[in-house]
Amino acid sequence: MSRSILKNFRGLRALVIMAPDAGRDTLERTLGKLGLEVIIAESPALPTDSTDIFDVVLFDADDGADTCMDAHVMRERPLIAIIGSEAPSRLARVIRHRAASHILKPVRSAGIFTALLLAVNEHAARMRHEQEMLALRRRLAGRRVVMKAVLQLMTLCGLSEEDAYEWLRREAMERRIPMEDMARHALGDGPHPGPQKTRASRPE
Amino acid sequence: MMRRLDLSIGLLFSQSGSYQAVSMAMRAGAILAIEEINADKDAPVFIKPAEVDPAGDLAGYVEGARTLLQDQSLRHVIGCYTSSSRKEVLPLFEKSDAMLWYPSHYEGFETSENIVYSGAAPSQHIIPLSRHLLKNFGVRGWMVGSNYIWAWENNRILRDAINAAGGSVLGERYFPVGETDLADIVRQIVADRPDFVFTTLIGQSGFVFLNMLRAAASAAGIDQPREMPAASCSLSEAELPLIGDAASGHLSSSVYFSTISSPENRKFAALWTPRFGHLGQPSADAEAAYVAVHLLARAVARAGSDGFEEVREAVRGLTFNAPQGRVTVDPDNLHCWMRPRIGRSRTDGAFDILMEHPVAVRPDPYLIWVNEADDKYGPDLRLIK
Repeated sequence: MSRSILKNFRGLRALVIMAPDAGRDTLERTLGKLGLEVIIAESPALPTDSTDIFDVVLFDADDGADTCMDAHVMRERPLIAIIGSEAPSRLARVIRHRAASHILKPVRSAGIFTALLLAVNEHAARMRHEQEMLALRRRLAGRRVVMKAVLQLMTLCGLSEEDAYEWLRREAMERRIPMEDMARHALGDGPHPGPQKTRASRPE
Repeated sequence: MMRRLDLSIGLLFSQSGSYQAVSMAMRAGAILAIEEINADKDAPVFIKPAEVDPAGDLAGYVEGARTLLQDQSLRHVIGCYTSSSRKEVLPLFEKSDAMLWYPSHYEGFETSENIVYSGAAPSQHIIPLSRHLLKNFGVRGWMVGSNYIWAWENNRILRDAINAAGGSVLGERYFPVGETDLADIVRQIVADRPDFVFTTLIGQSGFVFLNMLRAAASAAGIDQPREMPAASCSLSEAELPLIGDAASGHLSSSVYFSTISSPENRKFAALWTPRFGHLGQPSADAEAAYVAVHLLARAVARAGSDGFEEVREAVRGLTFNAPQGRVTVDPDNLHCWMRPRIGRSRTDGAFDILMEHPVAVRPDPYLIWVNEADDKYGPDLRLIK
């Protein structure tokens, strides 16, 4: 199923890191028309404590504004690069910051909505992928303990591999805990996973 | 007496090509306003128009804009009908510090500082039409359109509204502009028996479609106008004479109909009929062109200059008692506050007005301020702020 895209940016706070010029005026005015609240930071100085009060960051990639950006915090936000110079040295920094979209200078009102829409949706997709990756990593790390529990169930209880695995899976599901935790419990490690929850109590 | 300001403007309307019926009506609306202002001894400006005919061809628009802006150094041009022509000439206006006065309803998602938009934005055409259809006819819709941005975007908005209402889109089909081989799709639609048909077919495709739909429905024993109406956001008085037998009974969402009862509209009709009656009754796009010229003249008078920046600042918040009622230019996005209306076409080339929004609606080209209504008929026009 296709996920519907974010297309209304009403109430989002945009941090614009850019020296004053006509392009910045156009940017500020257009973002305002799109329903965003605009916070201007005269590059290269960033307003202190500003990091958690904005939802999207637009930065001038030409004037080194990005050097003051906290890379860690920036990764948590959709980034839009405002690009004038197409010299690879500049563009390399845009890549390093993982800008999710860009606007070419001279800044026109046309193109800003597109850049915003791409950045916000691309960023949301990246965040989803990151979460999925974390979950997969966690599961991968837990594979060893699951295999160990399966082996133990096979030797101690005489189950087939399939039955042992299925037993672990079902027990984990009924307790609503990760299979890795159930495996640890079966091996006598880790906290008690709690009583079985009946199927009837499961939410639909 | 105050000295009258000379105001030179350009007109960029196609007088031939696939949408000439509408664009000639638009040109007529602009000419009427120019003649009206020039004939008025007390008017603060005297307008001298220069005209280029792009003949419905994109390259013709670019060439025309270049002639008007660069060769003749004009700062203000009234013109364009399709979005593609507007997008094509916009960079020239930006480069020349000139203003395009764009008098057509369109699909939104644009706010240029070089364009004043006197036609309806989506918050003023498709949103009110969606609600009207879902409320009065049902939630099962069929969508058929010409394959370009106007159709795609309107269908997207209607589809969202139908889905939010728990309804279903029975079918959605697009055809090349000018396609008239529509028998299969008409057969399919009549077999599906939707609650309404939303059409964004333009020009000849649209006329042929409405006739075929009417014929097929009546052969199947369906009272098409009542039980399965065809609705659009563009059908106007300029096109009704071209549809023929099946011209009546179609729904249209528009900020202007020739049947609006007001002194301003009577005056407009009195100017129109002797001069341009051969083009049909006055239509929304003709009126929007008429409004655009009046707004331009007023903004120039207010600014005391025809300079681009001065006029742009002067037009913000400007009001004009137009044939449709009071029109106000939004200070922010240079689109107009107007009242949405739903009409149903008649056999005499005019529309009965079925619904009229009580107040002017904010132009919302990006649909930022449209809210989900509490009822089940899709997004509403209620505004926050």
